[in-house]
Amino acid sequence: MDSDRRRDSRSWDWDSPQCRAQLDEVFFRRHDYIQAGSPEHREFWSFFDRFQRFKTKRDVSGSGAKEDREDGKKTGTGKVDLGLPKEYDARYRINVSVCTRDVEERLGKSEHRGRQRSSGPGSEEISDCRLALLHFLDFSQRQSFGKLAKLRREQKTLPIFQYRDRIVELVRLHPVVVVAGDTGCGKSTQVPQYLLSAGFNHIACTQPRRIACISLAKRVSFESLNQYGSKVGYQIRFETTRTPATKLLFLTEGLLLRQIQQDRTLSQYQVLIVDEVHERHLHCDFLLGVLRSLLSDHPDLRLILMSATINIKLFSDYFGGAPVLQVPGRLFPIQVIYQPIPTEEQPSRSEKLDPRPYLRILQGIDQRYPPEERGDLLLFLSGVAEISTIQEACQVYATHTRRWIVLPLHSTLSLAQQDKVFDISPPAVRKCIISTNIAETSVTIDGVRFVVDSGKVKEMSFDPKAKMQRLQEFWISRASSEQRKGRAGRTGPGVCYRLYAESDYDAFAPYPVPEIHRVALDSLILQMKSMSLGDPLSFVFIDPPPAASIQTAVTYLKQQGALDSRGELTSIGSLLAQLPVDVVIGKMLVLGSLFHLVDPVLTVAAALSVQSPFLRSSQHNPDCATARQPLQSNHGDPFTLLNTFNAWVEVKGERGGGSRKWCRRRGLEEQRLYEMVNLRRQFKELLRSHGLLESESSTPSGGDRGQRRERLKERRKLYQMKRDHEQQESSRRKVLRMDEGHDGEFSSGSDTEAAGKGKKDKGGSGQNLDIQEVKFKLRHNVSELQEAASVSQDMSSRQQALLKLLLCRGLYPQLALPDEHNSTRKDSDQVFHTRNKQGVVIHPTSVFASDPEVLQVPEDDTREIGPDRRDSSRHQLLAFVTLLETNKPYLSNCVRVPALQALLLVANSVDSNADCTRLVVDGWLELELREPEEALKVLSTALTLRSEWERLLLAQLGQSTMGGPAVQGVSRKVMEKLSEGLVRFLLYNEVTYSLRRLTAFQTQNLYIGPQSQSDLPDTKAPDVNPLFPGVEAKPDPIKGGLRVASFFNYNSLADSKDLYSECLRTFWSCPNCDLYMPLTPLERMQHEASCRPAAEQQQPEEEPEGGKAGSSSVSSLTRVYHCDVCDEDLTLTSTEILKHKRNHMYSAK
Amino acid sequence: MEQTTSLTPQKTFTCQLCDLSSPFTYYGQKPPNTRAIVLLEECFVTQDPFSPDKEKFLVLGSTCSLCSTCVCVGPDCSLFYTKRFCMQCVNKHLKQFPLQIQAELAKKKPSSKSAAS
Repeated sequence: MDSDRRRDSRSWDWDSPQCRAQLDEVFFRRHDYIQAGSPEHREFWSFFDRFQRFKTKRDVSGSGAKEDREDGKKTGTGKVDLGLPKEYDARYRINVSVCTRDVEERLGKSEHRGRQRSSGPGSEEISDCRLALLHFLDFSQRQSFGKLAKLRREQKTLPIFQYRDRIVELVRLHPVVVVAGDTGCGKSTQVPQYLLSAGFNHIACTQPRRIACISLAKRVSFESLNQYGSKVGYQIRFETTRTPATKLLFLTEGLLLRQIQQDRTLSQYQVLIVDEVHERHLHCDFLLGVLRSLLSDHPDLRLILMSATINIKLFSDYFGGAPVLQVPGRLFPIQVIYQPIPTEEQPSRSEKLDPRPYLRILQGIDQRYPPEERGDLLLFLSGVAEISTIQEACQVYATHTRRWIVLPLHSTLSLAQQDKVFDISPPAVRKCIISTNIAETSVTIDGVRFVVDSGKVKEMSFDPKAKMQRLQEFWISRASSEQRKGRAGRTGPGVCYRLYAESDYDAFAPYPVPEIHRVALDSLILQMKSMSLGDPLSFVFIDPPPAASIQTAVTYLKQQGALDSRGELTSIGSLLAQLPVDVVIGKMLVLGSLFHLVDPVLTVAAALSVQSPFLRSSQHNPDCATARQPLQSNHGDPFTLLNTFNAWVEVKGERGGGSRKWCRRRGLEEQRLYEMVNLRRQFKELLRSHGLLESESSTPSGGDRGQRRERLKERRKLYQMKRDHEQQESSRRKVLRMDEGHDGEFSSGSDTEAAGKGKKDKGGSGQNLDIQEVKFKLRHNVSELQEAASVSQDMSSRQQALLKLLLCRGLYPQLALPDEHNSTRKDSDQVFHTRNKQGVVIHPTSVFASDPEVLQVPEDDTREIGPDRRDSSRHQLLAFVTLLETNKPYLSNCVRVPALQALLLVANSVDSNADCTRLVVDGWLELELREPEEALKVLSTALTLRSEWERLLLAQLGQSTMGGPAVQGVSRKVMEKLSEGLVRFLLYNEVTYSLRRLTAFQTQNLYIGPQSQSDLPDTKAPDVNPLFPGVEAKPDPIKGGLRVASFFNYNSLADSKDLYSECLRTFWSCPNCDLYMPLTPLERMQHEASCRPAAEQQQPEEEPEGGKAGSSSVSSLTRVYHCDVCDEDLTLTSTEILKHKRNHMYSAK
Repeated sequence: MEQTTSLTPQKTFTCQLCDLSSPFTYYGQKPPNTRAIVLLEECFVTQDPFSPDKEKFLVLGSTCSLCSTCVCVGPDCSLFYTKRFCMQCVNKHLKQFPLQIQAELAKKKPSSKSAAS
């Protein structure tokens, strides 16, 4: 046949694109099953080539066989005549046919005319092509069916498959069911499918990790044959594939909690599956508690807890003896070898790990197992430092033997480096993966045959007394130990080496300590309050946290202003509860929305909520350090992050995908920046939905119709790229190079790597598609971001000062004071103190670690008063985001702020002596001001600014709860006035003062204590408080003195210096009105608080009307004053009251 | 979403030999959107779940032309040779099938047995 064709196929050439195009015109037109240009079409032609080759081969070799076949045919007659054709033809095995009238016509026509035409397919070609098409269709049917059959086969072999009907039945009968099964039993993928096919709709399945949501949704949608539909979806912080058609949703525990916050009954779901409950994450424990109370209101809701076979009774009992279905796991046998580390090789606390025990295991494996027998090694260590010690030693051994590729695995590695553990090693070489406990549950690596378990883990714990997180090394639990061991038996029989004795194992705790016992509960308590779950102390947790840590959290939230003194949510608190971030960061956002600093605050808040983009491994790379230099800000780490983000956005706008290289050169993990930009957008939307941000000023996305069309086209292209990427993503694993190990450790981020990759980019830009870049473009408007970035790039020093203040108020009370002897210490020995923890240091990644001088008081500015007292106007404090103890207590993400100003503006408790020259803040910092005159002025300015700030903040928040989205709560003018005032206060204050910590002894006798009425000479005067209309100035019952504002106690310090200064009047003239008279310090402050410059007083109408804000602002000027002497109620301003009283005084004399 | 599910109740195809089951959306010889393509037997058809193209179909199985057993198109369960035959019928009438097929089946059998044991 083939030769026939060759003979008379004039100019017909199967390989010519023109000829093929002619056939496309017949078989693959626009309305045909397969269209020219589609992927199937491409596949067809490559199939066609193979098919032709196969035919040629068969024709050459098998012409004789044909005869045999025909012989066989004749003899094969049975009882029933099946009526099969006499001659075998593979064509008969295909159950499809292609027939259209025009193809038939074509065939007929070309019979007559084909020869005349020198080109164009003849009937021969058409029928060849048709035959190939039939075979192709059959082939693709077989292929797809093969996949389906394989899928069904695998589902059936899962241990859980036998329990399919039982599970469905249990769920139908019981509101709560516990499914317990070990790794590999298939519960996470199968149980949701069983329920789906049993007819349940609206199923939600929670996961502790975002990545699991994505991969499970992918797997389950594939298995439930809905890979390209949206029946199965996921929803995580920034991404969702959920549509109205979604019946099964994988989501994080935190997200489900947020949904409950919005809809108490959770009516959108019929079935809830809480997976991995045994991991006992904070959110999960809390979620179980919430669901437990929710079940009674929602009797139709079905709850399924899925767990490893750990502590199952706990869960069952918590839900009133819920039925438990236990499924065996599918693990291959694992041999356990106990190899305790001999005492001489055990490191003491400060020393590095001794690598010898680990090397012996590698050697042992090399001796015992032939290299052709595949199987990798997974080594569990407690932390990053330990990993690099052992990695170094193993690398030397690996380089020598050429039988190992050593790879580290921990969460601070770049994602690309983390991803390497999934790549394949070359033949006869094993991977040696050295990991933290991340590989215990979060990351599953197939092909591991050997596990080495150090038995150690570093775990975060929380010290409520020092308000400090602590990362400490512990022995693992038996449950973790088993989990680690199990990692060796996923794909075949394995070996687990335990570097401890069996008796140690027996002494381990049975289970790890649940997270709820280890961490700060601030966010949890806040969320509980906002869900009105009552007293956190009486909430029925599955395993209640210590009462002390609940108490600490409540106190902290009160300090933060999220809860009031009765423990109820404040308006800012209820807003904070809805932001999925730390309380301090939420506060920044709210504060930032008030001033027009939204853009930089959004960026900083986002940056502080993700892992640092600065890779640790690049820190010591001089090239990276140089490249990073321009990004650094000596105002603090949040400013460095802000600069970095802005510069990155700039690069994105200019060079798009070129940002990857830009990041690599600076040792930045670009993924973190993508997370930041996503988070930033989420924050923006949250603020907007709470009315704290003007909705997008109806920018009609700009441009004329042509540009819009262009943009639309661009978007479509991007979507297509994203889809294509998702399709070919099917994890093509690379083969590792032998030198992979060193590469990561020693030269990451270097220019050589960058150059190499750059070349590759040019070579095959199609394959090396940066999917993150595509997603970024789809999600964000680059020019809008650029605009925001340039706004915060061009920040004036005044805006910078204001931003610092906002950060500081957000972070308060997380403040640290530089030690007074820092100027005499080395850079690396700088010491700081927080209120609850002395002697902390700055984390080496912080800008202040490399540049501590900016924190010191300039020499020329100081005036040595005594040995312990240094007066300056330049004292500074650090506001910090985290205090974490590892080998030392470290502060990270710090900002420096001017001490006096910041404290007066943000502190919760300021106490003064009679002439206000001595101030004590929060009972631990003492400030002594030299000039009483100056002191009074500073204090009184601060009081005024603060009360105005508070008023505007409340007005803004009040507005937002009333829900007028377009209306800005506070008028721009009023706001600008306040920020102007704050900036002037922050920047142009030349008051000199000393700053020091109080000693323990000093704090004992700090306050004068409560006093009888007669001791206070002037109690009558300030019975109306002009500063805070709501708060009455009254004697403080504990500290003594007079409570002038919620944060300020006047004259409560036990100060032997001058007993009478509080009633001492000095002549003073008010700069705003014509008042000139002798006043006590308190009277003067009161006057200043209410006496505004004339210009301001004339426009009280400017205040927003119809709100609470309006009425309070008017009443702040005049109020009802009851004069005891006249026995009359008078409506007066504070100044008038003073004058009035003065009259009585003089007349009395 | 409730509505769409109630409008098209799931019909399930199950192979009577290997128990493979999967929902199907069409039974017959001319699945929707197949244009020039015609099936040569009445088939249980579904949308091909492994193709991003919604219009691609996948034949799950059909009935044996001799004994009317419902069988999947998997090579262990049935065979198409101008008509659909379930494996039981094929084995019964093996001699009537061309040698090509006989040889193929003979080759497959021992291997499938060894895999099963």
